Amino acid sequence: MKVAAVMSVAALTLAACGDSGNGSGSSSSSSSTTKKSDVKVGMAYDVGGRGDQSFNDSAAAGLDKAKSELGVDTKEAAAVNGENEAAREERLQQLIDAGYTHVVAVGFAYAKSVGKAAKDNPEVHFAIVDDASDDSKGANVDQITFAENEGSFLVGAAAALKSKTGHIGFVGGVNVPLIKKFEAGYIAGAKAVNPAIKIDSQYLTQPPDFSGFGDPAKGKTAADGMYQKGADVVYHAAGGSGGGVFTAAKAAGKLAIGVDSDQALTAPEAVRSVIMTSMIKKVDVAVYDFIKSASEGKELTGNNIYDLKAGGVDYSTTGGQIDDIKSKLDDYKAKIVSGEIKVPVTP
Amino acid sequence: MSATGLEVGTQAVADRPKRRRFGLREWSIVAIGAIAVISVLRLVTGADDIASSGALAAAIGLAVPIGLAGLGGLWSERAGVVNIGLEGMMILGTWGAGFFGYHMGPWAGALGAIVMGMLGGLIHAVATVSFGVDHIVSGVAINIIGLGVAKYLAARFFNGLPGGGPTQSPPIDSLPDFTIPGVSDGLGTIEKKDWFFVSDVAAVLRALCTDVSILTIIAVLLFVATWWVLWRSAFGLRLRSVGESPVAAESLGVNVLRYKFLAVVVSGGLAGLGGGFLALVAANIYRDGQTGGRGYIGLAAMIFGNWRPGGLLTGAALFGYTDAVQLRGGATVHAFLLLFAVLLVAIGVWQIVRNQRVVQGGLAIVVGVLVGWWYFAVDAVPAELTGTTPYVTTLLVLAFASQRLRMPAADGQIYRKGEGH
Repeated sequence: MKVAAVMSVAALTLAACGDSGNGSGSSSSSSSTTKKSDVKVGMAYDVGGRGDQSFNDSAAAGLDKAKSELGVDTKEAAAVNGENEAAREERLQQLIDAGYTHVVAVGFAYAKSVGKAAKDNPEVHFAIVDDASDDSKGANVDQITFAENEGSFLVGAAAALKSKTGHIGFVGGVNVPLIKKFEAGYIAGAKAVNPAIKIDSQYLTQPPDFSGFGDPAKGKTAADGMYQKGADVVYHAAGGSGGGVFTAAKAAGKLAIGVDSDQALTAPEAVRSVIMTSMIKKVDVAVYDFIKSASEGKELTGNNIYDLKAGGVDYSTTGGQIDDIKSKLDDYKAKIVSGEIKVPVTP
Repeated sequence: MSATGLEVGTQAVADRPKRRRFGLREWSIVAIGAIAVISVLRLVTGADDIASSGALAAAIGLAVPIGLAGLGGLWSERAGVVNIGLEGMMILGTWGAGFFGYHMGPWAGALGAIVMGMLGGLIHAVATVSFGVDHIVSGVAINIIGLGVAKYLAARFFNGLPGGGPTQSPPIDSLPDFTIPGVSDGLGTIEKKDWFFVSDVAAVLRALCTDVSILTIIAVLLFVATWWVLWRSAFGLRLRSVGESPVAAESLGVNVLRYKFLAVVVSGGLAGLGGGFLALVAANIYRDGQTGGRGYIGLAAMIFGNWRPGGLLTGAALFGYTDAVQLRGGATVHAFLLLFAVLLVAIGVWQIVRNQRVVQGGLAIVVGVLVGWWYFAVDAVPAELTGTTPYVTTLLVLAFASQRLRMPAADGQIYRKGEGH
């Protein structure tokens, strides 16, 4: 019986896959009849691709919005774990060769390959998410970065306001400058509320070992340690390892803070109650902006920073757990937007 | 036959020099000694997390997958097949646990993990035993295939499920875990007293009887069962003889290829269960890349343990413990510097006084003094280095225990049926 059930579920899944494939095919053809745009967007995802419930999905949401509202043609490709530079260059080049006029690369791993492809193909426009280095610089490159430190400041303040023990934690996936930016903002925000607060920081792996973004067991171990030592709120910037942080919070009966998307909506149902807020990074907004202004004939180039002021980062209120401190957080938000508070980028 | 040894042809095979047997008594002395050392270190450095029940429980959780992978390696290598494909088999196991665990419950997940791991083992067995492919080549291929297949299957079957995606499965229900009610709390009270040695023993016992997953208990039973089967049964004797001297085994009527085949498939099943533990107990989810190289570490733990279950268990526990304390952060790794310094100086003195090895001894003392200076000079070890704690510790223990490793004599050799005739 059970085997039969599984088989039928598998069959349904296969059918569902088939459906979605057909759906996307038909929608792209129908869009060409309704509203035709000259902009053809190729999107190269980071490891995980569409459906990772995080970073890549956020970029995909921006692409989907552009597709339905602007009628652009799209094509997608995803990276695989541990691939080399040549594979990324190849992926971008394939999109260009297929006639895509605008290429969006998701993730700082693409920095070098975008820089190279932009030089080789001056007529194609590029966007890279999470990189503003010289590697990807070019006259035809939109370098999209976010002020993660500003968003993290707000959730850090929320953590300090909600902490009863005066002790909070931060779990970073991999010890890279990008994640340090999260840590720096979080610490600054917590200290702004309570200068005497104790903050434990822990990174799961060191580069070039990037397994810290996908190892829930390690995330759980690190968070367990923090909760047992007295921390009562832990913020994670650890991608897929964050699931372990939520499990640990649930087991300890304490709180956690999500990252990138509103995780109180996307995390497994059993742990949603421990996620008091999430630091949201609106990759979708940035991707949509790039495509929209391209379709209006105005190409975005240079480093476009999506900060708190531009609405690129924010905190979530799903679940209503931080409704009581919302006014205080919005005060901090106003001060950051006005420039009264400068949030550091390194801890 | 002579009185001193067995004569084969004209060559005399001397009896092995008598060595102390490492029995239960020696093991308990080592365990008590280790707790005492840690206890002293805790009092001297004030790093409380060094022997907390939380750290030890985390250590158990991290040690089990490594231990199961190593146990898989043990079965395979005892039968003479090097299994570097453990990582790939673990990855298959994580997917099996995610898929069957989601659809049919966590117990089916554990079974699914074993079956997927066995499939990996089967490929390795067919390649190495049936077709005589080089063991390393086949193992590396399994690692790559395992990764690719799991990714493909995850994208195919987890996409679109609630909470699932190409890189992760929907959440899986938990397996039961056990706490001994009164005992756990009582020990917790003693642990909090901070008494020398007593509190540390209480912490160890508390970790052993609080929230212990059923899969952890099964893993321990598998260790005992493996020891009994391989070292106490006729089947095990034949299996090991295949790894030591397949020609001799075949001349005595043992079906060498069948034993090797079976051992490699069992090996895959154990590694798969190790992956299943990661998905079912450590995370409640299949996640792309969640094995993080634990298959290789399991293999290292097995070599560290001299191809014996007890040694392997020690190696896995050491790895799990050091990994747990470095992940939990705090001052523990810094406290370890002091331990390393003292150990290194002790090794140096030992080498000079007992073995007259002045150069090695001097070197150890110099390094030990430098590490000691480092301990006193800084307040914390840089984050970039704390992650290396498990590896440094293992190297040190290997140096301290002096190399006396002996792998199965025919390990890694390709055997063809009837080769000896």
